[in-house]
Amino acid sequence: MTEHTIKDMEEEIKRIIAEVIEEDPSKLGADVNFFDDLGVDSIKAIEITVALEKKLGIVIRDNQIPRIGTVGEALALVKNLMEKKNK
Amino acid sequence: MKDKRIVITGIGPVTPIGVGKKELWQGVLSKKTNVRQEKCLIGRETWDIFYKHKIENFDIGAFGLKDDDIEYMKDWKKDAEAIDLYYLAAAIKLALDDSALEYTQNDNELSLVVAHENPGLEPFLANIFEKLAFFMKGKPDMTRKELTDKLYNACSRAGYETQAFMLLFHAAKIFNIHRYSLFVNNACASGLYAIEAASELIKCGRSSIAIVAASDHPDIYKYLWFKELNMYDKSGVLRPFDKNADGFVFGDGGSAIVLEDLEHAKKRDAHIYAEYLGGGFSLEGWKVTTPKIGDDFYQKTILEALSRSKKNKEEIDVVCAHGVGNRTIDYYEAKAITDIFGKRPAKPLITAFKPYIGHNLGGNALIETIILLLAMENNIVPPTLNTNTVDPRFNIDIVKEKRAIPINIALKICCAFAGYNAAAIFKKEIK
Repeated sequence: MTEHTIKDMEEEIKRIIAEVIEEDPSKLGADVNFFDDLGVDSIKAIEITVALEKKLGIVIRDNQIPRIGTVGEALALVKNLMEKKNK
Repeated sequence: MKDKRIVITGIGPVTPIGVGKKELWQGVLSKKTNVRQEKCLIGRETWDIFYKHKIENFDIGAFGLKDDDIEYMKDWKKDAEAIDLYYLAAAIKLALDDSALEYTQNDNELSLVVAHENPGLEPFLANIFEKLAFFMKGKPDMTRKELTDKLYNACSRAGYETQAFMLLFHAAKIFNIHRYSLFVNNACASGLYAIEAASELIKCGRSSIAIVAASDHPDIYKYLWFKELNMYDKSGVLRPFDKNADGFVFGDGGSAIVLEDLEHAKKRDAHIYAEYLGGGFSLEGWKVTTPKIGDDFYQKTILEALSRSKKNKEEIDVVCAHGVGNRTIDYYEAKAITDIFGKRPAKPLITAFKPYIGHNLGGNALIETIILLLAMENNIVPPTLNTNTVDPRFNIDIVKEKRAIPINIALKICCAFAGYNAAAIFKKEIK
C-alpha cells in the first residue's frame, strides 16, 4: 500500500467508525481509545466490526474484535487483512 | 393427508437441583441452585478453581436400569468414566417411565435423536493429560514412538468415546430403540434442533414416537476455553440480562422428552404436557463466539416459529430466553425480543432458567424446555434468579418474582455459538 492509499484508508475507517458510534470523525484521532475515551461498549464494537467487514470486504476473526480499540489499531488490522487478501 | 400433530408425553430431567420432574419443580419453586466450587488438582497442585451448578451424589444404579446395561457402560468406559452418558441414560429412563409407554423390546418403531456438544471429550482429555504425565515421570529419554505407543494403548478407547454415534449406540442398546436415529450438534441450540428433527421424523411417518435426549458434564477444559474468552463468571453467579452480568456458569445435566403423534398418544390415553407447534431456525455463518449484532437472523427465527405454528405474537404467554448472562449476547437477545414483542411488553412475560441449573451447553435448550413444560403445567412462571437490575439498554422486563398466570402458549428461544438461532413454540390446550 502506498502512503497515499494508507491515508485514504485511515480516513475511510474513521468515517465508518464515526457513523457507527455517531461521533464527528474529527474526534477520532489515531490514538483515541473508543472504549476509554468515547464510551464505546462491546455491542458497538461488534457493530464497528460488521461495518468494517461490509464496507471494506474483509473478514475479521472473533479474537481480533476486542483488539480494535483505536483508529490506529483498526488501520493496522485492516492493512494486514487487505495485504493477505491481495496476495 | 392431514398433518400429524406432535405432542410431548414424557419428560426426564436430571439436574443439579433435582432428578425427576417432581424434585426439579420443587427445586425451582424453592429457588435452589446447587452452585459448588470445582477445584481442579494436578497431583497436589491446584490447576484452577471455578464454580458450576453440580449434580451431587448421582447414582446410575438408582434408576431401575438393568445391572447388565450398567456394567456394559462401565466396562466400556473403564479408561475414563463418561458421566454424561450416565446422565443421558438416566434421563431417557425417567422420560420413558413418565410417558408410561409400553413397547416390544426386540423390534419397535421408536426413534431416537440425541443432542450433545462434545460427548466424551472432557474425560478423554483428562485421561490423556494424566497418562502423559505418568509415562513421562522419570523417563524423560523415552522416544516419541515409545510414548505414542503407550498413550495409544492407554487412551485410544476413551478417544473412541468422542465419536458421537456411541451415545446413540448405548441408548439404543439399553432401551431397545430400533428405528431411525440421529445425532444433533448445533452448539447450545442443539436441544431445539433435536426436537424439530424428531418432530419431522414423526410427521413424515417414520415413527409414531421419538425420544429426544441430551446431556453434558462440562468440566475444566470447557471452563478454560470460556475463561480464555473472558465469558465465565468467576463468582459462580449467572445473571441473565443484568447490568452486572459477567458470564456463564456451567451446569451438569441430562434431559429427555418423549415426542409422540397426537393420535397415537390419544389411543393409549397418555398424559400430554403440550403440543409442539413448530420451530424457527437460522444460521448466521459469521463468528463463533459473537452474535451478528445489527442483523436480524434471531428476529427472523422467532417469526418463523410463529408462522409455522400459525400463532400471532399476541398469543404467546411466556418467553423462556437463552439468558446466558453475557452482556453482548443478552443485548442481542433482548433486541430480538423487543423487535418482535415491542419495548417492555406486558405480555409475554420473559424469564430465563440458567440461574437455577447453570448452562448445560449442548443440553441446555432441552433441559430448559422441560422446566418450561412444568411451568405450563403448573401455570406458574418461575422468576429469573440473580437478575437485580436489567441493563438499561435492553428495554425488557424480566420476571423477578414467581407469577401465577394461565400459560397456554410458550416460546423457547436460543441464540447459540456459531450463530445457531432457534425458537420453538409449545401449546398446552389440545383440541
